[in-house]
Amino acid sequence: MVSASDRLDLVFQALSNPARRSIVERLRAGECNLTELAAPLRMTFPAASKHVRVLERARLVKRRVSGREHLCRLEAKPLEEANAFLEAFRERWEGTFQALEGVLEQMKADPKRRKR
Amino acid sequence: MQRGLEVATPTDTTIVMKRTFDAPRELVFEAMTDPALIPKWIFSPPGWTMTTCEGELRVGGKYRWEWSDENGVPALTIHGQNLEVDAPRRIVHTETMEMGSCGPIGTLVSAVDLEEEGGRTHMTMTLTFDSKEARDGAIQSGMAQGMEAGYQQMDALLAESA
Repeated sequence: MVSASDRLDLVFQALSNPARRSIVERLRAGECNLTELAAPLRMTFPAASKHVRVLERARLVKRRVSGREHLCRLEAKPLEEANAFLEAFRERWEGTFQALEGVLEQMKADPKRRKR
Repeated sequence: MQRGLEVATPTDTTIVMKRTFDAPRELVFEAMTDPALIPKWIFSPPGWTMTTCEGELRVGGKYRWEWSDENGVPALTIHGQNLEVDAPRRIVHTETMEMGSCGPIGTLVSAVDLEEEGGRTHMTMTLTFDSKEARDGAIQSGMAQGMEAGYQQMDALLAESA
């Protein structure tokens, strides 16, 4: 059983590589076969296939074989999950900085300070 | 709450936060570094109290922040050393976190840069972790706490201004 946090590790790990990020970018436009994915990366089919395998493990990509074609498509959910973590992190710090803003307002309103 | 803070992860081991404050740089620097002011804004887990906030604002100077949980039991310590102090432009310090009696759970380097423009201050906070795993862990652990704390702080602020 893979926990949510392990799954997220796989997602971040998969996205830590520029070639794989570029594959994900390309797949945003829709399903596409592995040869088409490999070409702009100047990669051999097996090299591209290896990257896709990492993305599959992170459940970011689904691959289906149709005849001689390996068709890949993006799975949205894990990406949304990763974004949710980053957004939660952002909210925590935004809360902190709003509190800091409150302190700054008090400092600005302090007449003793204004004279300086 | 989609306002203000921008968060980015430009490299595997960093988190970069940018935000603008409607105050001159001297005030922002002071609020962020004065041990008398830090407890007024720094994030505290819900129900916890900051019991110690002390530090020496000079290169090589050490600082220490401590929190107790709702039962008054020491629960969290963050301590470190100032690596760069260039008031009111820049401050860099190390940050080591310890929870309860389990020793250090990781060290990071936090760098804050402040730029003033027309009476407002643009802040860039760069957190640099030892490893990608530590960086990702920090993002993930913020989740549960973040939901709680973000809203709690907001409630407090709203109550204040009401």
